[in-house]
Amino acid sequence: MRDWEALVEGHLGGLALEPGDSADVIAEIAAHLEESYEALIKENVPEQVAFRRALSQVTNWRDLQRRIFIAKRSAHRMQKRVNQLWIPGFLALILSMVFLMMLQKFGFRPRIVKSGPDAILFYVPWLLSLPLFGALGAYLSSRAGGSRGTALLVSVFPVLALTAAFLLMFPIGLIIERATGNHMDFSFVAVALLRDGIGWLLVPGVALLAGGLLVQLLFSRRSTSQVAAIG
Amino acid sequence: MIGAGIKRGTAELAILSVLEEGPLHGYEMARRIEEQTKGALHFTLAALYPMLYRMEQRGWIRGAWETSPSGRRKRCYRLTPAGKKKLSPLRKEWAELFGALKRLTKVAHA
Repeated sequence: MRDWEALVEGHLGGLALEPGDSADVIAEIAAHLEESYEALIKENVPEQVAFRRALSQVTNWRDLQRRIFIAKRSAHRMQKRVNQLWIPGFLALILSMVFLMMLQKFGFRPRIVKSGPDAILFYVPWLLSLPLFGALGAYLSSRAGGSRGTALLVSVFPVLALTAAFLLMFPIGLIIERATGNHMDFSFVAVALLRDGIGWLLVPGVALLAGGLLVQLLFSRRSTSQVAAIG
Repeated sequence: MIGAGIKRGTAELAILSVLEEGPLHGYEMARRIEEQTKGALHFTLAALYPMLYRMEQRGWIRGAWETSPSGRRKRCYRLTPAGKKKLSPLRKEWAELFGALKRLTKVAHA
Protein backbone atom coordinates (compact mmCIF):
# COMPACT_ATOMS: atom_id res chain seq x y z
CA MET A 1 0.00 0.00 0.00
CA ARG A 2 1.35 3.38 -0.97
CA ASP A 3 2.09 6.03 1.64
CA TRP A 4 0.60 9.05 -0.10
CA GLU A 5 1.24 11.40 2.79
CA ALA A 6 4.96 10.57 2.81
CA LEU A 7 5.06 11.09 -0.94
CA VAL A 8 3.39 14.53 -0.71
CA GLU A 9 5.50 15.47 2.29
CA GLY A 10 8.58 14.70 0.22
CA HIS A 11 7.45 17.31 -2.29
CA LEU A 12 5.81 19.88 0.00
CA GLY A 13 8.02 19.43 3.06
CA GLY A 14 9.37 22.97 2.66
CA LEU A 15 5.95 24.58 3.01
CA ALA A 16 6.67 27.34 5.52
CA LEU A 17 3.31 27.49 7.28
CA GLU A 18 2.40 26.83 10.91
CA PRO A 19 3.17 23.11 11.59
CA GLY A 20 -0.53 22.21 11.94
CA ASP A 21 -1.41 24.03 8.73
CA SER A 22 1.33 22.29 6.74
CA ALA A 23 0.24 18.88 8.03
CA ASP A 24 -3.37 19.63 7.02
CA VAL A 25 -2.34 20.67 3.50
CA ILE A 26 -0.19 17.55 3.07
CA ALA A 27 -2.94 15.24 4.36
CA GLU A 28 -5.56 16.88 2.14
CA ILE A 29 -3.48 16.68 -1.04
CA ALA A 30 -2.44 13.12 -0.26
CA ALA A 31 -6.12 12.17 0.17
CA HIS A 32 -6.93 13.75 -3.20
CA LEU A 33 -4.14 11.84 -4.96
CA GLU A 34 -5.19 8.60 -3.30
CA GLU A 35 -8.81 9.06 -4.41
CA SER A 36 -7.72 9.84 -7.98
CA TYR A 37 -5.57 6.71 -7.98
CA GLU A 38 -8.35 4.51 -6.60
CA ALA A 39 -10.85 5.85 -9.13
CA LEU A 40 -8.44 4.89 -11.93
CA ILE A 41 -7.91 1.43 -10.42
CA LYS A 42 -11.71 0.95 -10.39
CA GLU A 43 -11.67 1.74 -14.13
CA ASN A 44 -9.23 -1.18 -14.52
CA VAL A 45 -6.27 1.05 -15.28
CA PRO A 46 -3.03 -0.83 -14.45
CA GLU A 47 -1.55 0.13 -11.09
CA GLN A 48 1.61 1.80 -12.37
CA VAL A 49 -0.29 3.77 -15.01
CA ALA A 50 -2.88 4.83 -12.41
CA PHE A 51 -0.11 5.97 -10.10
CA ARG A 52 1.57 8.00 -12.85
CA ARG A 53 -1.72 9.52 -13.97
CA ALA A 54 -2.70 10.49 -10.43
CA LEU A 55 0.67 12.15 -9.91
CA SER A 56 0.53 13.89 -13.29
CA GLN A 57 -2.03 16.30 -11.78
CA VAL A 58 0.93 18.17 -10.35
CA THR A 59 3.57 18.93 -12.95
CA ASN A 60 5.50 21.40 -10.79
CA TRP A 61 5.50 20.74 -7.05
CA ARG A 62 7.64 23.74 -6.28
CA ASP A 63 5.14 26.02 -8.03
CA LEU A 64 2.25 24.37 -6.16
CA GLN A 65 4.08 24.89 -2.86
CA ARG A 66 4.64 28.55 -3.69
CA ARG A 67 1.01 29.11 -4.69
CA ILE A 68 -0.34 27.39 -1.56
CA PHE A 69 2.03 29.45 0.58
CA ILE A 70 0.87 32.72 -1.03
CA ALA A 71 -2.82 31.75 -0.75
CA LYS A 72 -2.51 30.82 2.92
CA ARG A 73 -0.05 33.44 4.05
CA SER A 74 -1.70 36.72 3.00
CA ALA A 75 -4.66 36.60 5.37
CA HIS A 76 -2.68 34.66 7.96
CA ARG A 77 -0.10 37.42 8.25
CA MET A 78 -2.75 40.09 8.52
CA GLN A 79 -4.56 38.16 11.25
CA LYS A 80 -1.30 37.62 13.13
CA ARG A 81 -0.48 41.32 12.97
CA VAL A 82 -3.90 42.19 14.35
CA ASN A 83 -3.64 39.67 17.20
CA GLN A 84 0.00 40.28 18.08
CA LEU A 85 0.32 44.02 17.56
CA TRP A 86 -2.82 46.07 17.04
CA ILE A 87 -5.22 44.57 19.59
CA PRO A 88 -2.76 44.45 22.53
CA GLY A 89 -1.25 47.81 21.52
CA PHE A 90 -4.54 49.65 21.38
CA LEU A 91 -5.72 47.95 24.57
CA ALA A 92 -2.62 49.19 26.43
CA LEU A 93 -3.14 52.68 24.97
CA ILE A 94 -6.85 52.86 25.84
CA LEU A 95 -6.42 51.50 29.37
CA SER A 96 -3.53 53.84 30.17
CA MET A 97 -5.42 56.86 28.82
CA VAL A 98 -8.63 55.94 30.65
CA PHE A 99 -6.65 55.57 33.88
CA LEU A 100 -5.03 58.98 33.36
CA MET A 101 -8.42 60.58 32.69
CA MET A 102 -9.81 59.00 35.84
CA LEU A 103 -6.93 60.36 37.90
CA GLN A 104 -7.53 63.84 36.50
CA LYS A 105 -11.27 63.53 37.10
CA PHE A 106 -10.75 62.52 40.72
CA GLY A 107 -8.55 65.54 41.25
CA PHE A 108 -5.08 64.03 41.37
CA ARG A 109 -2.65 66.86 40.89
CA PRO A 110 0.52 66.36 38.85
CA ARG A 111 3.87 66.67 40.54
CA ILE A 112 5.63 69.70 39.14
CA VAL A 113 9.37 69.58 38.63
CA LYS A 114 10.96 73.01 38.11
CA SER A 115 8.84 76.12 38.16
CA GLY A 116 7.78 78.68 35.63
CA PRO A 117 7.31 78.04 31.90
CA ASP A 118 9.84 75.18 31.85
CA ALA A 119 7.85 73.18 34.44
CA ILE A 120 7.62 69.44 33.75
CA LEU A 121 4.48 67.68 34.94
CA PHE A 122 4.51 64.13 36.28
CA TYR A 123 1.35 62.23 37.18
CA VAL A 124 3.05 59.91 39.63
CA PRO A 125 0.17 57.40 40.11
CA TRP A 126 -0.18 57.21 36.31
CA LEU A 127 3.56 56.65 35.86
CA LEU A 128 3.43 53.92 38.49
CA SER A 129 0.57 52.20 36.64
CA LEU A 130 2.33 52.22 33.28
CA PRO A 131 4.59 49.17 33.86
CA LEU A 132 1.36 47.24 34.45
CA PHE A 133 -0.17 48.38 31.13
CA GLY A 134 3.12 47.79 29.31
CA ALA A 135 3.29 44.31 30.83
CA LEU A 136 -0.33 43.59 29.87
CA GLY A 137 0.29 44.58 26.23
CA ALA A 138 3.49 42.53 26.07
CA TYR A 139 1.78 39.53 27.70
CA LEU A 140 -1.15 39.56 25.25
CA SER A 141 1.23 39.93 22.31
CA SER A 142 3.47 37.08 23.52
CA ARG A 143 0.45 34.88 24.19
CA ALA A 144 -0.73 35.49 20.60
CA GLY A 145 2.68 34.24 19.42
CA GLY A 146 4.32 37.66 18.97
CA SER A 147 8.11 37.82 18.83
CA ARG A 148 10.14 39.47 21.59
CA GLY A 149 10.50 42.61 19.45
CA THR A 150 6.77 42.79 18.76
CA ALA A 151 5.92 42.34 22.44
CA LEU A 152 8.28 45.16 23.42
CA LEU A 153 6.87 47.36 20.66
CA VAL A 154 3.38 46.68 22.02
CA SER A 155 4.47 47.54 25.56
CA VAL A 156 5.56 51.05 24.45
CA PHE A 157 2.63 51.43 22.02
CA PRO A 158 0.84 54.11 24.14
CA VAL A 159 3.95 56.30 24.00
CA LEU A 160 4.37 55.73 20.25
CA ALA A 161 0.80 56.92 19.72
CA LEU A 162 1.47 59.98 21.87
CA THR A 163 4.70 60.66 19.93
CA ALA A 164 2.72 60.59 16.69
CA ALA A 165 0.26 63.05 18.21
CA PHE A 166 3.13 65.31 19.34
CA LEU A 167 4.72 65.22 15.90
CA LEU A 168 1.43 66.19 14.34
CA MET A 169 1.51 69.38 16.41
CA PHE A 170 4.20 70.81 14.08
CA PRO A 171 2.21 70.84 10.84
CA ILE A 172 -0.99 71.73 12.70
CA GLY A 173 0.83 74.62 14.39
CA LEU A 174 2.08 75.84 11.02
CA ILE A 175 -1.43 75.71 9.55
CA ILE A 176 -2.84 77.65 12.52
CA GLU A 177 -0.02 80.17 12.21
CA ARG A 178 -0.80 80.72 8.53
CA ALA A 179 -4.56 80.92 9.16
CA THR A 180 -4.38 83.36 12.06
CA GLY A 181 -1.43 85.34 10.79
CA ASN A 182 0.25 85.07 14.22
CA HIS A 183 3.92 84.40 14.16
CA MET A 184 4.93 81.66 16.60
CA ASP A 185 8.42 81.58 17.96
CA PHE A 186 9.92 78.23 16.88
CA SER A 187 12.29 78.11 19.83
CA PHE A 188 9.28 78.35 22.16
CA VAL A 189 7.64 75.41 20.33
CA ALA A 190 10.86 73.39 20.48
CA VAL A 191 11.27 74.00 24.23
CA ALA A 192 7.64 73.07 24.83
CA LEU A 193 8.05 69.87 22.84
CA LEU A 194 11.23 68.95 24.69
CA ARG A 195 9.68 69.71 28.08
CA ASP A 196 6.45 67.80 27.36
CA GLY A 197 8.46 65.08 25.65
CA ILE A 198 10.18 64.28 28.94
CA GLY A 199 6.98 64.24 31.02
CA TRP A 200 4.70 62.58 28.50
CA LEU A 201 6.98 60.44 26.34
CA LEU A 202 10.39 59.67 27.75
CA VAL A 203 9.56 58.81 31.37
CA PRO A 204 6.26 57.02 30.52
CA GLY A 205 8.10 55.16 27.76
CA VAL A 206 10.69 53.87 30.24
CA ALA A 207 7.92 52.85 32.66
CA LEU A 208 6.00 50.98 29.92
CA LEU A 209 9.15 49.31 28.64
CA ALA A 210 10.01 48.15 32.17
CA GLY A 211 6.69 46.27 32.28
CA GLY A 212 7.30 44.79 28.82
CA LEU A 213 10.81 43.67 29.74
CA LEU A 214 9.54 42.06 32.93
CA VAL A 215 7.01 40.00 30.96
CA GLN A 216 9.70 39.04 28.47
CA LEU A 217 11.92 37.90 31.31
CA LEU A 218 9.13 35.79 32.80
CA PHE A 219 8.23 34.30 29.39
CA SER A 220 11.85 33.43 28.57
CA ARG A 221 12.28 31.80 32.02
CA ARG A 222 9.10 29.80 31.57
CA SER A 223 10.09 28.59 28.09
CA THR A 224 13.57 27.71 29.37
CA SER A 225 12.07 25.60 32.18
CA GLN A 226 9.70 23.93 29.66
CA VAL A 227 12.62 23.05 27.41
CA ALA A 228 14.48 21.67 30.43
CA ALA A 229 11.42 19.60 31.41
CA ILE A 230 11.12 18.17 27.87
CA GLY A 231 14.85 17.52 27.64
CA MET B 1 -6.09 33.04 -24.78
CA ILE B 2 -8.23 33.42 -21.64
CA GLY B 3 -6.72 35.87 -19.13
CA ALA B 4 -5.83 34.85 -15.58
CA GLY B 5 -8.53 37.12 -14.10
CA ILE B 6 -11.28 35.51 -16.18
CA LYS B 7 -9.99 32.03 -15.40
CA ARG B 8 -9.94 32.76 -11.69
CA GLY B 9 -13.41 34.30 -11.85
CA THR B 10 -14.93 31.27 -13.57
CA ALA B 11 -13.17 28.94 -11.14
CA GLU B 12 -14.52 30.83 -8.13
CA LEU B 13 -18.02 30.82 -9.60
CA ALA B 14 -17.78 27.08 -10.32
CA ILE B 15 -16.63 26.26 -6.77
CA LEU B 16 -19.22 28.46 -5.07
CA SER B 17 -21.95 27.00 -7.32
CA VAL B 18 -21.18 23.35 -6.55
CA LEU B 19 -20.85 24.09 -2.85
CA GLU B 20 -24.28 25.71 -2.90
CA GLU B 21 -25.65 22.18 -3.40
CA GLY B 22 -23.95 20.97 -0.20
CA PRO B 23 -20.57 20.37 1.47
CA LEU B 24 -17.93 18.61 -0.62
CA HIS B 25 -14.28 17.65 -0.34
CA GLY B 26 -11.70 18.70 -2.94
CA TYR B 27 -11.68 15.56 -5.09
CA GLU B 28 -15.48 15.32 -5.24
CA MET B 29 -15.73 19.04 -6.00
CA ALA B 30 -13.39 18.72 -9.00
CA ARG B 31 -15.27 15.63 -10.20
CA ARG B 32 -18.68 17.32 -9.92
CA ILE B 33 -17.54 20.45 -11.74
CA GLU B 34 -16.14 18.37 -14.59
CA GLU B 35 -19.28 16.25 -14.73
CA GLN B 36 -21.75 19.14 -14.60
CA THR B 37 -19.88 21.16 -17.23
CA LYS B 38 -19.48 18.03 -19.41
CA GLY B 39 -15.72 18.34 -19.23
CA ALA B 40 -15.59 22.01 -20.27
CA LEU B 41 -14.16 22.93 -16.87
CA HIS B 42 -11.45 20.66 -15.57
CA PHE B 43 -9.68 21.28 -12.28
CA THR B 44 -6.34 19.67 -11.64
CA LEU B 45 -5.20 19.26 -8.06
CA ALA B 46 -2.57 21.97 -8.60
CA ALA B 47 -5.20 24.47 -9.69
CA LEU B 48 -7.87 23.51 -7.18
CA TYR B 49 -6.19 23.73 -3.78
CA PRO B 50 -4.52 27.15 -3.99
CA MET B 51 -7.92 28.43 -5.14
CA LEU B 52 -9.75 26.73 -2.25
CA TYR B 53 -7.26 28.08 0.30
CA ARG B 54 -7.56 31.59 -1.11
CA MET B 55 -11.35 31.43 -0.98
CA GLU B 56 -11.18 30.06 2.55
CA GLN B 57 -8.94 32.92 3.66
CA ARG B 58 -11.44 35.36 2.15
CA GLY B 59 -14.12 33.76 4.26
CA TRP B 60 -16.28 32.55 1.35
CA ILE B 61 -15.90 28.85 2.23
CA ARG B 62 -14.92 26.96 5.36
CA GLY B 63 -13.11 23.64 5.46
CA ALA B 64 -13.30 21.08 8.27
CA TRP B 65 -12.04 17.52 8.65
CA GLU B 66 -14.72 14.87 8.62
CA THR B 67 -14.55 11.08 8.75
CA SER B 68 -16.44 9.25 6.02
CA PRO B 69 -18.40 6.00 6.75
CA SER B 70 -15.41 4.10 5.31
CA GLY B 71 -13.24 5.66 8.05
CA ARG B 72 -11.30 7.91 5.68
CA ARG B 73 -10.65 11.49 6.80
CA LYS B 74 -11.64 14.16 4.30
CA ARG B 75 -11.59 17.90 4.49
CA CYS B 76 -15.08 19.06 3.53
CA TYR B 77 -15.80 22.59 2.40
CA ARG B 78 -19.01 24.48 3.06
CA LEU B 79 -20.29 27.77 1.78
CA THR B 80 -20.24 30.48 4.46
CA PRO B 81 -22.84 33.26 4.67
CA ALA B 82 -20.22 35.55 3.04
CA GLY B 83 -19.80 33.01 0.23
CA LYS B 84 -23.54 32.82 -0.32
CA LYS B 85 -23.66 36.59 -0.46
CA LYS B 86 -20.82 36.64 -3.00
CA LEU B 87 -22.42 34.05 -5.29
CA SER B 88 -25.42 36.06 -6.42
CA PRO B 89 -23.56 39.17 -7.75
CA LEU B 90 -20.88 36.91 -9.23
CA ARG B 91 -23.52 34.98 -11.18
CA LYS B 92 -25.07 38.23 -12.39
CA GLU B 93 -21.67 39.58 -13.51
CA TRP B 94 -20.87 36.45 -15.50
CA ALA B 95 -24.36 36.26 -17.01
CA GLU B 96 -23.94 39.86 -18.17
CA LEU B 97 -20.50 39.13 -19.61
CA PHE B 98 -21.64 36.03 -21.48
CA GLY B 99 -24.79 37.83 -22.67
CA ALA B 100 -22.67 40.65 -24.00
CA LEU B 101 -20.27 38.24 -25.76
CA LYS B 102 -23.20 36.36 -27.27
CA ARG B 103 -24.71 39.57 -28.62
CA LEU B 104 -21.33 40.64 -29.95
CA THR B 105 -20.67 37.38 -31.78
CA LYS B 106 -24.18 37.40 -33.29
CA VAL B 107 -23.69 40.96 -34.57
CA ALA B 108 -20.30 39.94 -35.97
CA HIS B 109 -21.89 37.04 -37.85
CA ALA B 110 -24.85 39.07 -39.20
